[in-house]
Amino acid sequence: MLSLKRLTRLGFSILIFAGFFSGNTVIAQDGKTLFQTNCASCHQVHKKLTGPALAGVEDRWPNKKNLYSWIRNSAAFLKTGDAYANNLYNEYNKVAMNQFTALTDKEIDALLGYIKSVPAPGTGPTGGGAAVGAPAEEGDNTLLFGVLTLILAVVALTLLQVNSNLRKMADEKEGINPEKPVSFFRNKRNIAFLAVILFLVGGYFTTQGAMNLGRSTDYQPVQPIYYSHKVHAGVNQINCQYCHTGVYQGKQATIPSVNICMNCHLAINEYKGEKMYTEDGKEVDGTAEIKKLYKYAGFVEGKPWDANNAKPIEWVRIHNLPDHVYFNHAQHVKAGQVQCQTCHGEIQKMGEVKQFSNLSMGWCVNCHRETKVQFKDNGFYSIYEKYHQDLKSGKMDSTKGVTVEKIGGTECQKCHY
Amino acid sequence: MNKLSVFLLLAAVSVLAACSDVKRKPGTVYMPDMAYSRAYESYSDNSNLTAKNINYTARPVAGTISREEELPFHIAMDAAGDTTNYTAAKGVINPITSMSPVETKEAERLYLVNCAVCHGANLKGNGPLYKDGAGPYPAKPASLVGDAKYENMPAGQMFYSVAYGKNLMGSYASQLSRKQRWMVIKYIKDKQLEGNAAATAVADTTAMK
Repeated sequence: MLSLKRLTRLGFSILIFAGFFSGNTVIAQDGKTLFQTNCASCHQVHKKLTGPALAGVEDRWPNKKNLYSWIRNSAAFLKTGDAYANNLYNEYNKVAMNQFTALTDKEIDALLGYIKSVPAPGTGPTGGGAAVGAPAEEGDNTLLFGVLTLILAVVALTLLQVNSNLRKMADEKEGINPEKPVSFFRNKRNIAFLAVILFLVGGYFTTQGAMNLGRSTDYQPVQPIYYSHKVHAGVNQINCQYCHTGVYQGKQATIPSVNICMNCHLAINEYKGEKMYTEDGKEVDGTAEIKKLYKYAGFVEGKPWDANNAKPIEWVRIHNLPDHVYFNHAQHVKAGQVQCQTCHGEIQKMGEVKQFSNLSMGWCVNCHRETKVQFKDNGFYSIYEKYHQDLKSGKMDSTKGVTVEKIGGTECQKCHY
Repeated sequence: MNKLSVFLLLAAVSVLAACSDVKRKPGTVYMPDMAYSRAYESYSDNSNLTAKNINYTARPVAGTISREEELPFHIAMDAAGDTTNYTAAKGVINPITSMSPVETKEAERLYLVNCAVCHGANLKGNGPLYKDGAGPYPAKPASLVGDAKYENMPAGQMFYSVAYGKNLMGSYASQLSRKQRWMVIKYIKDKQLEGNAAATAVADTTAMK
C-alpha cells in the first residue's frame, strides 16, 4: 500500500517536472521562430549587423516597459526624447527599426528568453576544424623511377664490361690474337649510338620547349587577395555568373568590381570555414584577407559604405590569348552552352586559380571538331536551314549531330580577323 | 669517366626533384607584342592616357540609354538616415506588365544567379549562404514569399532596394541592368501571386470539406 502511494507520488512529480521542462522548451522554440521571422534580418545575438547585437539587451534597458514600446514602435518612442534610444538611433546611422505593433508582451518575453539562451560564440563546442584542402602528400614516383633506371643502367654497363672482358680472356686462351683494344669513347658504334640518343632527347625537349613558348598551362600567380573559388563557388554554391556577370552577355567574363564583393562582405566580415592553404602549403587567415578587401573598398566597419571610396583590386591576369585571336565568352556560354569547367577545369575546387588548358590553337580546333552544337531549340542556329532539313529527312545522322566544324567553326576568319 | 657521368645524372635528378611544381611565372613568349596586346583592351591600365593627351572616358555620356534598355529610374538614393526617396519609390510602376514564357525563364535564371544565394531558390529567404544560420551570412535574408511585408511591398520600392541596396543588401546595379532588375521583380511578384493563389486554393478545399 505504502509502496503504491510512493510510486504514484514519484510518477506525479516526474509528470510535473516533464511538463515544466517541455513548457520551457516550447517558449524557447517560439522565441527562436519569432526571432528568425522578425529580427534576424537586421539583428544577431552576438554580432552587430544593421542593428546592435542583442545579447544583454535587458541589462541595457532597465525599464522593461520602455523596451517593450521601443520594440513595438521605435519611431514613436524616439519622440519621447529618451536619451539612450536617441543615442542608439544616431549610432546606427539613423536606420529606423521596423514596427512590430502586433507582438504581445508574452511574445517579446519569449524573444528575450531566446536571446538569453544563445551561448556566446567560442564557448560552445566548435565543429571540427579539420584541415581539408591541406596539401596532400602525394607520392611522386618520378624520382623513384629515375633512381631505378639509373641503377639498372649501371648494372647493364657493368655486365657489358664483364662480358667483353670474359670474351677477351677466352680469345687469349684459344690463341686468337686479340684486336687492339679501342677505348669506350673512341668506339665508333658507341659514338653513333650516343649521337642518336642525344639527337632524339635533345630534339624532344627542344620541340616541347618551343611549343610551350607563350603557353602558360598551370600558371598560378599570387593574387593581391587570397580569393578562394573553392570557398565561394564550391562550399557556398555562389553561381559563377553572380560575379562574372559579363560571361552571358559579352566577350569578357568580367572581373567582379569591388561592389560585387561588398554585396556579401558588407555583412560577412570573418571567415569561419575550413582551414585554407596556399599552393605552397602556407595557412591562410581568411578574416585577414577580408580585411584586405575592406581596405580596397574604403569600408570602415560599423559605418555606412560609400562605394565611391573604393579602389580597384589589381588582380593578376592568368588567361591571356594573343592579340590576333578573337574569343567571345557569351558565344560559348550562352549560345554554345559550354560549362565553365570545360575550359577552366574544376574551378570550384581551386583555392588558387591556375590555367587549366594550354589555350593553344590545336586545343581550340580539337574541341570545335568534336563538340556538337545544341542545334535543337536554339534560336541562335535557326539560320542553318539546310542542316535542319537534312536532319529532318535523315540525310544527316541525327545521332552524330552537327559539330562546330560543320557550321564553320574551324575556318580561319572565325577567330582571326 | 663513368663515375663522373653517374654523378652528373644524380645531380640533375636531385635538382629536378627539388623544384617546386607551383608555377608562379607565366613563362616565356616569343613576340611579346603579339602575346600581350599593344592596343588598349579591356582591363588594360588606361590611367596614363590623360598624360598622353588622349581624350578617353570609360563611362558613357550621362543620360545615355542603351538599346532595349528601360527608361531611367528617376528617384535618387536617400542620404543616410533619410527615407523620403525610399517611400517615394512606392509610386513607381513596373514598366514590365507581362512576360512571355521565354522572358519568364530568363527572369528565373537571373533570379537564381543573383538572388537565390541568399533569398533561396524557392524565395523563402533561406539560400545556401544562410542555411538557417549555419551559412556564413549573419543576417536572415527576407522571405520574399509568405511574408506580408514583402508581399505588400510595391514593385517600385523593391526596385529602389535592388538598385541602391537596403540595410545589409548591397546594390545590384552593377550586376543587373534596369530591364533585368524589373524582370526579376516581376518574377518575384508573379511567384508571390502564385503562392497566394495556392494558399487560397488550399483554404477553399478545406472550407469545402
